Order: sequence, then structure tokens, then C-alpha cells
Amino acid sequence: MSDENNSIVKTLANLPKNVWKSIFRNPLPSSDRGRASTSFSNFFLHIQPVRVSRQTLRPMYTMGLGLISFFLFVILAVTGILLMFYYVPSTTQAYDRMLDLRSSVAFGISLRNMHRWAAHAMVAVVFLHMCRVFLTGAYKTPREFNWLIGVTLFILTLFSSFTGYLLPWDQLAFWAITVGTSIAGYAPFVGKSLRFLLLGDATVGQEALLRFYVLHVVVLPAILTIVVALHFWRIRKDGGLAKPEEATVAPTPVPVTVTLEEPVLVAAGAAMVAADTAPRRFTIQGLVRGPFVKVGKLEEDTVFSWPTLLIAELVVLLITVIGVMAVSIFFNAPLEHPVNLMHPPNPAKAPWYFLGLQEQVSYSAFWGGVGIPALELLLLVLVPYIDRGKAGVGRWFARERVWANTLFLTFVFINVVLIVIGTFFRGANWSFVSPF
Amino acid sequence: MGAAPKEIETAAQSMPRRRFLAWLSGASLVGSSLAAMFSTYVFMKPRATYGQPNRFRIGRPEDFPSGVRVAIDTKRVCIVRDGAKLAAISTTCTHLGCIVAPSETGFQCPCHGSQFDVDGNVTGGPAPKPLAWFQVSLTPSGELEVDKDSEIQTGTYLNV
Repeated sequence: MSDENNSIVKTLANLPKNVWKSIFRNPLPSSDRGRASTSFSNFFLHIQPVRVSRQTLRPMYTMGLGLISFFLFVILAVTGILLMFYYVPSTTQAYDRMLDLRSSVAFGISLRNMHRWAAHAMVAVVFLHMCRVFLTGAYKTPREFNWLIGVTLFILTLFSSFTGYLLPWDQLAFWAITVGTSIAGYAPFVGKSLRFLLLGDATVGQEALLRFYVLHVVVLPAILTIVVALHFWRIRKDGGLAKPEEATVAPTPVPVTVTLEEPVLVAAGAAMVAADTAPRRFTIQGLVRGPFVKVGKLEEDTVFSWPTLLIAELVVLLITVIGVMAVSIFFNAPLEHPVNLMHPPNPAKAPWYFLGLQEQVSYSAFWGGVGIPALELLLLVLVPYIDRGKAGVGRWFARERVWANTLFLTFVFINVVLIVIGTFFRGANWSFVSPF
Repeated sequence: MGAAPKEIETAAQSMPRRRFLAWLSGASLVGSSLAAMFSTYVFMKPRATYGQPNRFRIGRPEDFPSGVRVAIDTKRVCIVRDGAKLAAISTTCTHLGCIVAPSETGFQCPCHGSQFDVDGNVTGGPAPKPLAWFQVSLTPSGELEVDKDSEIQTGTYLNV
């Protein structure tokens, strides 16, 4: 059957267009319907809602902190995979590979700098994101579990950063991990075996380097990816970002009858109604309860995700990438002398985010290193289950939440002060020194 | 109609069986998960380590003249000798595992400022325990051997 359309010339001429159309089902949207279908027919866009509240888009509400955390994670994955091509997790080679990155690998310095600074930034930004969520009361019903997932992500971030800290195998790395893992050794009952399991030996050595490497490049990123996906999914299922009052109003399920004027394709149960010119009547047969289905109640204060949300996200991505690159151009990631067991640096310090812990540890090993951190973590996890009040959701420093916010800020303040003391005010033998 | 009650009876009997099977499946699932977790733990815990042996020789008694306090940092011990008395004191800080350095007053930890006297007793800082003393013995070949697996009481010397 030699159809006119099937002539070779025509087939070839239409090939690019046909391939393009098979991949992208929707032309660039020019109508609201197009904008909606773009959002849910594209795999990468369907993660986002079709419409998004204006409140969610206000830069000063979220400050984009969650998104920045995610983008930093992406930057870390990309730079990390590239660095893996040149890195060898061996005590005899690791340090030399660091020097090679500096001297003979194209873009080696930039990649290492970006990886290092993005890692530090991620720890800080994830923490700030947690502060934002707390101070806006965004962990309240129905978002309790997502707060829990968030706390898990914070711990995973810390652990990822900590395992990466050892890999350059320089003095800084070695002693920071020696101190850090010893803190774990103080946990009651399981501490000693936990430390042995983590290091694969009694002291930090080849086994520890290999274990930290595997954890850092495979185990933790894989877990992080899954938990991040869960975190995002829960945002959607919990009705988007927390909004004041409005979010708590569940739609009343009312049967709605609509009359459609033009032919449409509707998937309602098993019934597929194809092209038919006559006006037809449809009845909604059932509704799903929950805050995420809005039927018969179009939120006025929303805009289409395409393009508004996407542009906002793109801007945050650009700011993040430019920020990390700019810091990487001006500051090199530290690299000290190769590991020398005979010469512990004085003072030997853990990574900065653990210096608050180290400061506490210098008063009491058990309470500072295990007891108080475990209590703090427990409180953090239980926050949404203890604070059951419904007021003040979706607003910064809501008056109704003054007590909760004050307590939380005190907790943040104490930890920041401890970190600052540990970082700047501690010299040889951990004695108090003035940085000025 | 004798069939109807019989049917009901079968249905009533099949419910506990179903529940039992569901319970059995659940229990085996939990059991296999626990077994898998335990196997992973056994796998991850090394049976042999590649690090330094805990028994090692440090030389002949003549190498350590009286009054010496010499730290062998690679082995993390300090050999002290006073007359005929010789002992090996750990230089691993009991606080967080840093290597302590011999000082005039005893030992000093660079990490969190723990201080110990010459016998390894805590005199300051956050260290919770005194430094360990290790068993030292004289091998038939006349060399000194330190065994870090056997800790002995502070103040127990080997007479050589």
C-alpha cells in the first residue's frame, strides 16, 4: 500500500519532527490547558503540582533553602562521580591522588573545591532549612512525618560529609576521624563494637579508609536519594508547603455535575468517552478525601507551575551553582601534610559541624559526646508529636508560637556558640585562646 | 438442605487458617530480615584485621638505660625504665584516642588537654581513666616483648 504519506522523501523530511513529537507530546504551552498538561505529562515535571500557591513562591517565605539543599546534593553527586575517576581509596595512594588533582588533572582543583565547599554548604543549608521549617511551624499536622524524614536527611548529610572528610588522607582528615569515631565509642554497650565495625580495625587505617569510601560513594548517596524522593513525595501528598489557615481546610466532597460543550477524552473509571459531537453529561462518581484533592474549589491564590515555579527553581539553581563556583575560584579546599601518626596536630579538631560536640566532649566524654546529642536528637524527632497546637502555621515567628520558637532558637544559639568556641577559641591542648 | 451449613462451616474454618498462614508469612518475613541483618553484621565485622599486631618486640633491655622515658609512637606505647624496673605505658589517650606525648610532668594530650602523671594517672582534663599499662616479658632470645592485649595494674614492673 503506497500511501502518499509513506513516500521515502516525505518520511525522511518528517523524521525529525516525528521523533521530536514522539518524545515531547505537548507543544510549548500557550493556554492554561497546555500548561496543565505539560506539567503532568512530563516525567520530570510531574513531580510538581500543576498549580502552586503564591505563598509557596514568596522568596522570603522559604528562602529556597530546601531547593538549595537539593541542588547542592546534585552538584555533590556530579563532582563526586567525576572525582571518583581519579581517586584511589588506599593509604599509600590517596594523598598522592589529591596532589595529582591539583597538578595534573584538568579541572581537578575546581572539582575538588566545588565538592568540598558544596559539602560544607549542604550541612549548613540543610540545618538552616530545618530552622525555617521550625520557625514557620511547617512541621504541624499533616506534616509530622515529613519533619521526621527531614531530621533523617540532616543526620545522613552529616554522616556523608563526615565519611568524605577522611578520604584525602591528610593530617586534618586522619585526626578529625580519630577524634570523631572515638566519640562514637562512648555510646553505652554498643559503642566499642560500633566503632570497630565502622573502622574495620582498632585504629583508623586502610580498612577505615576503604569502609568510609564505600559508605561515602555508594551506601549513603543511595539512601539519601531514596529518602529525598520520599521527602518530596510527602510534600505533594501533605498538600504542598505549609500555608496559613487555608491549608487546613479540607474540601467537602460534593457531587458536581458538569456539562461539557466540546468533545473531550475523559478517563472516569473504566469508561472512555471518545470523540462525540453531542454534548454529554458527566457525573463525578467518587471523591478521594484528603487535603491534596481540590474539587469544586479552585484556589484563587495559585498560579500555574509552568512557567512560574520552574523559573523560580531555575533562578535558585543558578544562584546555587554560581555561588559554589565563585567560592571555588577564590578559595582552595584545604590539604594538609600527609598522615603522620607520630605527629598529631595540636589541637586536633573534628570537622567544624562536630566542633560543638568536641567542645562538649572536652567537659564530659559521655554526656558531651553521646548523652546530650542523643537527647537533642530525640527532642528534634519528637517535636511535631509534642507540639500539637494548630496555630501559627505558615508564618515566620508567629505570635502564637513564641514559646516554641524561643526554645528552638535557644537550642540553635547554644549549639552555634559551642561551634564558634570550638572553632576559633581553642588552641594547643584545647586551652582557651583569643582569635584576635 | 444439608449443603448450606456445611459451606458456612468451611468458610468459618478457613478464616483461622488464612490468618494463620498470613501470620506465618509475616513471621518468616520478619525472621528472614533479622537473619539478613545479622549476616550483614557478621560479614561487616572483620575476623582478621590488617593493622599492626598487638604483640611486638621492642629491642633488648640494654637499649633502654635507667631513667629513660621513650615513646614509640608507631606502637603507641611509652617504655619507662627506672633502675631494674621496666614497664610499657599506653600513649593512647583514654579520652578520644589521640596520642599523648611524654612531658616533664607525665603525659599531655594534644586533643582535649588531658594530663597524666608519670604513671599515667589522670591529673587534669576530661580523660575518664588512667593510661593502660601493658604486659612486658623477656623472650628466650633476650628481647623485650609487649603484649597490648593484656593490660596489667598500674605500677607493675618487669625486673630486668
